[in-house]
Amino acid sequence: MATSSVYTPAGFNFSNQIRNTFLQERGVPLPKATSTGTTIVGCLFKDGVVLGADTRATEGDIVADKNCEKIHYITDSIRCCGAGTAADTEFTTALISSNMELHGLSTGRKPQVVTAMTMLKQMLFRYQGHVGAALVLGGVDATGPQLFTIHPHGSTDKLPYVTMGSGSLAAMAVFESGWQPNMTRDDALNLVKAAVAAGIFNDLGSGSNIDACIITATHTEMLRNVETPNERVQKERRYVFRRGTTAWKTESVRKLIVNEETTIIGGDAMDTS
Amino acid sequence: MDRVDVQQLKSGEVNLGTSIMAVQFKDGVVIGADSRTTTGSYIANRVTDKLTHVHDRIYCCRSGSAADTQAVADIVHYYLQMHAQTTGTPSVHVAASLFQKLCYENKDALSAGIIVAGWDKDGPSVYNIPLGGGLFRQPWAIGGSGSTYVYGYCDATYKDGWGRDETVEFVKNTLALAMSRDGSSGGVIRMCVITEDKVERLFVPGDQLPKFWEGDEVLPTAVAWK
Amino acid sequence: MTSIGTGYDLSASTYSPDGRIFQVEYAAKAVENSGTAIGLRVKGGIVLAVEKLVHSKLLVPAANKRILTVDPHIGLATAGLQADGRHLANRARDEASNYRDQYKTNPPLKAIVDRLGLYVQAYTLYSSVRPFGISTILGAVDKDGPSLYVIEPSGVHYGYHGAAVGKGRQLAKTELEKLKLSDLSMREAVLEAARIIYVVHDDAKEKDFELEISWVGEETNGLHVLVPKDLLDEANAKAKAALETFE
Repeated sequence: MATSSVYTPAGFNFSNQIRNTFLQERGVPLPKATSTGTTIVGCLFKDGVVLGADTRATEGDIVADKNCEKIHYITDSIRCCGAGTAADTEFTTALISSNMELHGLSTGRKPQVVTAMTMLKQMLFRYQGHVGAALVLGGVDATGPQLFTIHPHGSTDKLPYVTMGSGSLAAMAVFESGWQPNMTRDDALNLVKAAVAAGIFNDLGSGSNIDACIITATHTEMLRNVETPNERVQKERRYVFRRGTTAWKTESVRKLIVNEETTIIGGDAMDTS
Repeated sequence: MDRVDVQQLKSGEVNLGTSIMAVQFKDGVVIGADSRTTTGSYIANRVTDKLTHVHDRIYCCRSGSAADTQAVADIVHYYLQMHAQTTGTPSVHVAASLFQKLCYENKDALSAGIIVAGWDKDGPSVYNIPLGGGLFRQPWAIGGSGSTYVYGYCDATYKDGWGRDETVEFVKNTLALAMSRDGSSGGVIRMCVITEDKVERLFVPGDQLPKFWEGDEVLPTAVAWK
Repeated sequence: MTSIGTGYDLSASTYSPDGRIFQVEYAAKAVENSGTAIGLRVKGGIVLAVEKLVHSKLLVPAANKRILTVDPHIGLATAGLQADGRHLANRARDEASNYRDQYKTNPPLKAIVDRLGLYVQAYTLYSSVRPFGISTILGAVDKDGPSLYVIEPSGVHYGYHGAAVGKGRQLAKTELEKLKLSDLSMREAVLEAARIIYVVHDDAKEKDFELEISWVGEETNGLHVLVPKDLLDEANAKAKAALETFE
C-alpha cells in the first residue's frame, strides 16, 4: 500500500527559494526592513559636542514608531546617532559599545572616539555595505571633542558639523547658514534643534520629536524629547451637533404609517384543517 | 555574464570623484588633490583631505570609493609601521608595492585609483596604481575623474629639473583646471610638499583658486565683430 | 654530566632548578661534533668557509654541500646535524621569498635572521620537538652593505665581523681576531679563510676533509656563489703551504 513518506531526505531544502523566485516573477515584492528615514546631526562647540536626532521610524511609507530613540550609547562620553536600517544601527552600536567597554577595561584608559570610529568603519567595510548603518559619532576624550560620520560602506569623515539620513540636506542647509566656530553650549544646542526641526518639517522620512545629547569633558546630558513640535491634542470622541445647527427653509410632515386594504379575488380559501 | 565593471561603484557608495596629482622634483615631491566627496549628486564633504599619511615621508592620493581607499590606506599604514619595527624605515617603493598587492589581489572588490609618493634615501619618487592594480613609476602622475581633462596640459607644461616653487605652481594650476572642468571635483586645493627635512601642507581656499580664461570677453568681441 | 639521571634533561619544555634547559645545551654539543664553519665580513663582502669532514671515500667529492644559498644575495653555512641545516635553509628560503612577495625588494639579512631566530627558538619550547642541532652562519650583502650573523640552537642571534662555529671554533676565533677584517679584500679573505680551516683541522683525530668556500660581494656582482675552481685550488695550495711553515 502506498503511504505518505515520513522520511525527510538529508541535505538543504531549496523549496522556499523556488517559491520566492516564483512570487517575485509574479510581481510580489520582497519584504523590506524597517528603515529610519531619518534626520541625525552633530555639531562641535567650544567645549564639547552636541548630537541631535528626530524620533520617527518608518516601514516604507508607514510610520512604524512615532517616538523611537536614535541616539545610541557607546561609552559614558561617546554617543552615536544611527540612520539607515534600524536593526543594523541598533546592533552595530550595541556591539561596538560592548567592545569599547572591554577595550577600556583592558587598556585601563578612557577609550577614544577614534577607536570607536575605527571599530565601526572596519566592521561596516567588512560587510561591504550589507550592514546598512549610516552613523554620526560624537564624543569627548583625552584629545578633545571629536565628531565623525560613518557611511554604510565604511568610509569616514571628520568635520566640525555633520548631518546624515534622508533629512541631511535640510539639516545641512541650516548648519551651512548658521554654524560658527567656538559656539557656546546654548547656541550649539539651538542650532542642532533647528537643524533637526528642518529635517522633521521638510523631509517625509523624518518627523515627531527632537532628541539631543550634549557631551562635554565632565558631563554627558541626554535630552530626550527636548522639543515636541508635533504634540497631538486630546481626541474629543463626541461627535454631536447642537440642536438647530442646520438651517431649514420649508417644513412638511408626513405620516409614515401606510394604511392597507386587502381584497381577495377569486379562489377558495386555503384548507388549513 | 558580462565582465564585472570595476569602474562601477556600489549603489549609495561614497565616491571620491576626484582630481589628484603628484609630481617629483629635485629635493622631494609635491602632491595635491581637490576636496570634494560625493554621494550621487550630494556633496558629502566639501573639505575632504585626500592626501593620506602612510609613513613619515610617504603619502598617498586617493581616488575612487572612499570606503575602499580608506581601508586600503589604513592597512598599508599598519604594514609600514610593522616594516619600520622589523626592518627599518620603509622606502616609497615598498609602500607602493604594498598598495599594488592589495589593489591587484582584490581587484574584483575594489574601486581604488591611488598615487603613492614620498621621499626616501634614494630620493623622491612617484608611483601610480590605477584601477586594475598595476604599478608604474612616473616623474608625475595624475588621477581621478578630473585628470582626463588635463593630460594635455600636463604633457605640454611639465619640464624636468624644476624646483619646489615651480612644481607647486604646476600642481596648483593643473588641479584648478581639472576642478573647473570636472563636475565631481571641486572645493579647495590641498597640497603637500614632502622633502627630506619636513612635510609641508599647503592650502588654497575655493575663492582663491588660480583663474584661467573663463569666456567673459567672448560676447563683447562677438558683438563688435558684427 | 651532572644533569644525567636527574630527569630535567628529558624535555626541552623543562627547566632545571638552576634555570637551564639541558636539551638546548645538548643541541649545542651536537654542533661541537661537526666540522668547523667560519664567516668573514670584509671590505667588499662576505666569505663563508666550512671544513667538510669526509667520513667515507665513497662520497662524491664536491657533493653534499654544507654552504647553501637562501636568496640570490644570501648565503648560509651550518655546523651540526646536516639535515637540520638543510631544513633551516629551506625555511630561510621561504622567509626570503615571503619577504620578496610582500615588499618587492631584496630581503635585508637582518629581517631573515630575525625570523629564523624566532623559528629556531620555537623548537626550544615544546616537549614534542627537538631543538635544532646546528649553529648557522648567514652572510649577505644587502642595501646596508655586508652583514654576517650567527644563530645558535637556542634561537639567539648576533651580528659579527668574523664568526666561527663547530668543532674548531675556539682556535678559529683566535685566528680571526688576529686579522684586520675591515681592511681585507674579498680575495685575501678567501685565502685567510682557507688557511684558518686548515689550521683548525685536527689531522690526528679526523679523517680527510674537503674545503668548501663561498662568497658574496663586489667580486660576485652581489650574488652568493661558491668561489671559482681556480681560486679554490689556489686557496687550498696556499693554505697547505702555510700550514707547513706554521708547524
